Amino acid sequence: MDDLLADFVAETREMLEASEGEIIAWEADPADRARLDTIFRFVHTVKGNCGFFDFPRLAGLSHAAEDALADCRAGRRVPDAALVTAVLAIIDRIALMVDAIEADEAFPEGGDEELIAALEEGADAGPVLEPLPVPQPGSDVAPAKKAEAVVAQRSIRLPVDLLDRVMSGVSDMVLARNDLAHRLRQAGTQPTIDGPFERLTTILADVRDAITRMRMQRIETLFGALPRLVRDLSAELGKQVMVDLEGGDVELDREMIEMIRDPITHIIRNAIDHGIESPSNRLAKGKREIGILSIAARQSGNTISIVISDDGAGLDEEKIAAKAVSTGLITAAERAKMDREKILNLVFEPGFSTAEQVSNVSGRGVGLDVVRDNLERVGGSIKVTSTTGVGSLFTLQIPLTLSIIAGLTVEVGEQRFAIPQSYVEEIIHSSAKALDHTRVGETALVTFRGNRVPCLTLSEVLDLPAGDIAEGNHTMVLLRLASGDLFALAVDSIHSHGDLVVKPLAPAVMKSGVYAGSTLLDDGQPVLLLDVTNIASQHNLVSDARTRVLQTGEEEKAKTAKAHARAMLFTDFDGRRSAVRLELVKRIETAPASVIDLSAAEPRAVIDGVILPLIGLPDDQVPSEKVRVLRLTDGACELLLAVREIDDATELDDKLKPVPDDPLVEAVTLVGGKTVTLIDGHELFARHGEAPEVAAKPVCRLPDSEWARTILGPLVTSVGYDVAHGQDAEIEEDIAILFDDDYEAAAAIDITFDKPVIRLRDLPDEAGASETIYRYDRDALVDALRKARSAGGKR
Amino acid sequence: MNDLLVMAQIAGRRCAFKALDVKSVIEVGVITPVPRTAGFIAGITAMRSQALTVIDCRRAIGFDPASWALDERAIVVAVAGHSYALMVDSIEDITSGVSEPDGVPGGFGPEWSRVATGMIETRTGPALLLDLAALIGGPETLGEAA
Repeated sequence: MDDLLADFVAETREMLEASEGEIIAWEADPADRARLDTIFRFVHTVKGNCGFFDFPRLAGLSHAAEDALADCRAGRRVPDAALVTAVLAIIDRIALMVDAIEADEAFPEGGDEELIAALEEGADAGPVLEPLPVPQPGSDVAPAKKAEAVVAQRSIRLPVDLLDRVMSGVSDMVLARNDLAHRLRQAGTQPTIDGPFERLTTILADVRDAITRMRMQRIETLFGALPRLVRDLSAELGKQVMVDLEGGDVELDREMIEMIRDPITHIIRNAIDHGIESPSNRLAKGKREIGILSIAARQSGNTISIVISDDGAGLDEEKIAAKAVSTGLITAAERAKMDREKILNLVFEPGFSTAEQVSNVSGRGVGLDVVRDNLERVGGSIKVTSTTGVGSLFTLQIPLTLSIIAGLTVEVGEQRFAIPQSYVEEIIHSSAKALDHTRVGETALVTFRGNRVPCLTLSEVLDLPAGDIAEGNHTMVLLRLASGDLFALAVDSIHSHGDLVVKPLAPAVMKSGVYAGSTLLDDGQPVLLLDVTNIASQHNLVSDARTRVLQTGEEEKAKTAKAHARAMLFTDFDGRRSAVRLELVKRIETAPASVIDLSAAEPRAVIDGVILPLIGLPDDQVPSEKVRVLRLTDGACELLLAVREIDDATELDDKLKPVPDDPLVEAVTLVGGKTVTLIDGHELFARHGEAPEVAAKPVCRLPDSEWARTILGPLVTSVGYDVAHGQDAEIEEDIAILFDDDYEAAAAIDITFDKPVIRLRDLPDEAGASETIYRYDRDALVDALRKARSAGGKR
Repeated sequence: MNDLLVMAQIAGRRCAFKALDVKSVIEVGVITPVPRTAGFIAGITAMRSQALTVIDCRRAIGFDPASWALDERAIVVAVAGHSYALMVDSIEDITSGVSEPDGVPGGFGPEWSRVATGMIETRTGPALLLDLAALIGGPETLGEAA
């Protein structure tokens, strides 16, 4: 194929990709002139280019489409759905023909006439002939974003080989620079040379950066094809889906874009097929009939995250769990212990597919397990979260490039090896004691965060002579595999870590199965990159999917076991540093003095409308305007513990020394070198705990006036009463507040009150003041209400 | 015919590589050994920013390298996208072939027959033209084939 033809194919294809999104936008709004122009330009260019070559069929098709579109542009014709479909069909045919031209194959004869005939006005192209409703401005069916036509960047076409050559040339320059730097250091400081050398270093770093970016491509190239995919799929499945793309300017290694194309397509298919409901179904659920599928790409540091979310039905936890149990992925007992998130992520396990019937859209023989495998192969990951009825959200994390990875360089004997950073969980420079290094049979084990973890010695893995480091004195690199399995790798020392440019290894070396590639250190020394997954599987350290699920469960248990030893530190009113186990603490509250009730035998306070026992006050006095209280709960009962000062949550890592003579103290321990008294929760609740009196909120009837509602009401509520107004007959009050006038009027006609009454007077000083309370005498009012409450008892 | 050939001594025999296959001849620097690989892989070494797999040709064919001298230089070749440095007894010269490679009655012996394309007449006498892919595959392929 000559160069001219290759250029034609490349250009046509590029324009196809670029106009894909435009076509969909045009379909949504056939009256959109800008879109029409873009598509017209495309078919026009194809037609023009065909003139150089002998492609009569291509020319015929593009000419017909151009004519029809020109009519629309001139206003002789109104674009409708049938026209859009016909033009799309022609563009599809053009794409297929271009593919055939590139492959140098003959394109099957025939079919063109039908396509061209479909362009005719009034042609019987399909059932829809009415013009699509043109959305009114501001109506909510308008396309989400009227993205401006993409401005093409000025670009040239380069063979990848050439790029690679430039890249390796730059790498060579970096090595030469490093060598030079080394020699300059040996020669001592030479200001005349050091200056220019520094400049060279900076320039080189810049160039290296730019070269790396040459391999990058905007993710737009991937996004461009998605609107069409979504349109075709939703049409096929009778659903209405709007796609919302975000972050198209995020750049990614070209090869990486190819790697993620299939996974993303797969997830979108799933979302439309299983996630988004049919329009009628959506309306029934009170959603808009158009489903929204949003795809967003974001770069953070060295990873790109792509989030694909839909507002469909969401994943069905029960269905997934039942399926997993029936396929033997998990047992019923295991299922009971798993939380929702874990169950949802079962969809990525091999041999799992939720579709009850394999449809021709989702059921293609590949499941989400393949998607996950593909992503993990390039160092990425995927997870899903979902809310039933609201939608699902898939998050893909992928590294920026395939060829540069963050790595750790370790030393064994005289030799260095690299380990991809993504596997490294933790590095422990340790003695045998800290890790409890033991041997069970031939297997070495270390204890890491309370778990026994198998331990491999790198020198043994590689058949290297064991160094002179005693067993257990190695530096441990804890590696977590993508499957969740953890193991330790004993090395002599850690050399460095940084970005590694990974190069493939010769097949004869790869055959050993322990290396994934090679890389050059800054000094030009080649270093082998270890294939962690393969090493683990060679030593039978990789569990199958089932144990993977279980193990993470156990780890979480271990985490909570560790959390048991946490406590809230505080200083009580006697100035003692004390602590209470964190599990007991429900909340930290600040109680104003007004809610504290000291009138009863035991102090109480009202928090959130609940009356709770309050302990810890000095001499049963309210020490200040506001008191910090810890709201403690044992699950059923609650109580409040007043403290002078809240310190911090801490871990009780020191030994607990029991105190036998004081039942209220569980133990004494050291936190940060100081003694702390740990309060005995059991004794505390045995003595003071009681169920919150939420039901025992008494009702106070207020006079039916604006003043009572807005001024008196809040005060009464704050003391812990519910308020009834005027003549609300159905509520039975525990106490009533009446203006003295009303009270006397009632008394005059012999109405008796069977509930206590607080009488208010309008003036501060008046006759008979002992029986009434001045209406702005807050203290007296509060006092009277409290007394009435404690006297009235608890219902 | 009339192809340029790089001549080398391997295990005491004259061998020829097609000059088109040979990318360069380098001084071998530090070789990083690669544990757990076949014996004929001496290790990897860096040529500028590229990592080369170093193959000891004597072992790759099936001989004991200790019996022969070793050239400090190595022949760099590329096979299937990967670059290799070939360690030989000595690198002699570049010359041109004067015949097509051909077999000889009775063969070249089992080790040599596996790696040889055939005998080739050169201006400086007959030599064995080596098949790079077979050479780099190492003696294991012989074992598997048998």
